[in-house]
Amino acid sequence: MQNINNWLQTNTFHHSQFEDLKRLVEAKEKQNLTISVCIPTLNEEKTIGKEIVIFRSELMEQYPLIDELAVIDSGSTDRTLEVAASFGADVYLSAEILPRWGFKRGKGENLWKAIYQLKGDIIVYVDADIKNIHPRFVYGLVAPLIFRPEIKYVKAFYDRPLALSDQIRPSGGGRVTEILIRPLFSLFFPELTALIQPLSGEYAVRREVLESIPFPIGYGVETSHLIDVYSDWGLEALAQTDLDKRVHRHQSTRDLGKMAFGILRVFFKRLKEKGMLECLPELSYYLRQFQVKKDTYEQIVYEIFEEERPPMLQVPEYREKMGLNPL
Amino acid sequence: MATTQGTYPLERITNLARKVEQYREILLSNLVLVGEIPAPSGQEEERINFILEKFLQLGLENCATDEIGNAVAILPGSKRKHSILLTAHVDVPFEITANHTYTLEENKVWGIGVADNSLGVATLLSLPIFLKKLNITLENDLILLGAVKSLEQSNQEGLKFFLANTQKKPHCALLLEGSPLGRLNFRSMSTFGGQITCQINRRLSEASAIEMICQIIQSLKTLPLAEEEHTVLTLGSIEGGASYKYPARSCNLKFQIRSNSDQTIKNLIQKIYQILDNISQHPGLSVHLKTIATSIAGGLNSSHPLVLKARNIQEKLDITPQDNIYSPVISPFVEHNIPALCLGLTNADNLHYLDEYIEIEPCSKGLAQLIGLLLLIDKEIDLCRT
Repeated sequence: MQNINNWLQTNTFHHSQFEDLKRLVEAKEKQNLTISVCIPTLNEEKTIGKEIVIFRSELMEQYPLIDELAVIDSGSTDRTLEVAASFGADVYLSAEILPRWGFKRGKGENLWKAIYQLKGDIIVYVDADIKNIHPRFVYGLVAPLIFRPEIKYVKAFYDRPLALSDQIRPSGGGRVTEILIRPLFSLFFPELTALIQPLSGEYAVRREVLESIPFPIGYGVETSHLIDVYSDWGLEALAQTDLDKRVHRHQSTRDLGKMAFGILRVFFKRLKEKGMLECLPELSYYLRQFQVKKDTYEQIVYEIFEEERPPMLQVPEYREKMGLNPL
Repeated sequence: MATTQGTYPLERITNLARKVEQYREILLSNLVLVGEIPAPSGQEEERINFILEKFLQLGLENCATDEIGNAVAILPGSKRKHSILLTAHVDVPFEITANHTYTLEENKVWGIGVADNSLGVATLLSLPIFLKKLNITLENDLILLGAVKSLEQSNQEGLKFFLANTQKKPHCALLLEGSPLGRLNFRSMSTFGGQITCQINRRLSEASAIEMICQIIQSLKTLPLAEEEHTVLTLGSIEGGASYKYPARSCNLKFQIRSNSDQTIKNLIQKIYQILDNISQHPGLSVHLKTIATSIAGGLNSSHPLVLKARNIQEKLDITPQDNIYSPVISPFVEHNIPALCLGLTNADNLHYLDEYIEIEPCSKGLAQLIGLLLLIDKEIDLCRT
């Protein structure tokens, strides 16, 4: 609990802390770091154009923070590839990268193949469906890696509360995070509950980490990353940056169900690999959620006792009342 | 391209479009970033803050907002003898709640206000970068102004405030509008935009306010409109009533009169007041006339060197000139005796509708036109005052 609070203080950032791009580029160049941005796509013609244009202009032309801007596509049938190429992105078909390994359809496949295809010491993954795209989606995530060598994996979170009021409001991820991930993490990996939006699709990672961890192809990729990085390098290797608002497509409950199923599969696979299924740890009584007070995030811990009563047939008073033989 | 020595040759301007084309991402990026920030007239603060941030990043001088909320900065020239004003209005005719998401296609950018006037603002923000990339240093200071409160009833309040209060009176001015390419306005007509409101007191009358407005329209149609002064009456919009079942209790009409002569407009306004006085004799009817926007007649002549140079540049760049030389945006400069031109930057369509778009490819010609004109003005700035 203390570790989580410390981590929230030291490893949680806001993108505005890094908006001095000149200073950021200088620090990056001093370390001789290279940065690649990977945008995994599947039919994103509506939003891909402005994402490429903004990153190229702001983070390549004006401030040379990014060295490589690539789209890795799962086989779009719309004009995603043409639009991305026309605005100057390097465009790759996932199926053509590492052909000996075949092609699997899923975001995780593109992220994994990006490690092989792209050159950067740091790879920033940014989803293509962001309607309110802004350079902060990149610089907010790479900056902690540039300024803090011990950090290896930086995750985005969104929806900054109104800092002007004194109101306290719940803060957290989407429906799947709050209903599935946070309770699971509370039970098995309590420290990972410090991640406010563990499923966000934007993150920046050092190559040394990316090349060492497996990649689920589908919905479970973000969950598995967090468990694997945490297990191998500890909570200190993780960080998160508040990127304010993110406008994107709303997903139906049915789609979220599929996502939850994929995540559960990955999660139990990890438990099994760690021997936690056969020898379940004592299940915690604490559910860890977050609330926001002014500018700070604080953890709230609920103690939830899910006690159980026996079947009524096992209760002597009941048996007696119903004229049943004593057990 | 070193350009600070000698007169800028007109022949080089054709190359500018090609060179500018290389940096189009800078313009498009600024266009999306600024255009997605809502900015209805009078509520431009967030957009202005963004512009100021950009001005600061560009290392411009005197980056500030003035009392009315305009964003101002100066790109210093090498000699700093005079200053040229480059301005674009930052407000758009859409509410904050409208969907401001922009979409980039290979040849078009879609989004509300993209042509009027996010492209003008994006150009204002991108120009210092283009000049740097093209290795161009102006001799005179370039004042960059993002003007607030321009549209409709705001009546160019931001620009007027700046011109009335600036300590650094510009030698001449260029106004940026997103479209159409080939636009070259250098004169303003005398105009009066007004709203007539009729209200019926139900205790005294069962008449319909719509009928009253119709009578007023009939009277307005009898106004003497001198053709030789290009005097025109436009009935712009009408709204009134609450239901098809009941006589309308209120109704209003928005209209504009314009002419080459300020005196003609003054006379017509008097006549309109007489019409309204007559009709307000009707029991239970009250009639009001409110001013929406005004402008005064004046500006440069077609033979002014600034106009001729602009025409030459358009011809060199193979830009088809638009016929209309008038725009009310010139009027505030007429009041302050500052020569001013208004330029369009690209082709666009569906202005002020949800499916507004601009074409990307002609933007490089639009920018080359602007940069070429700036260079010519900078070298021969005294011609502005001819």
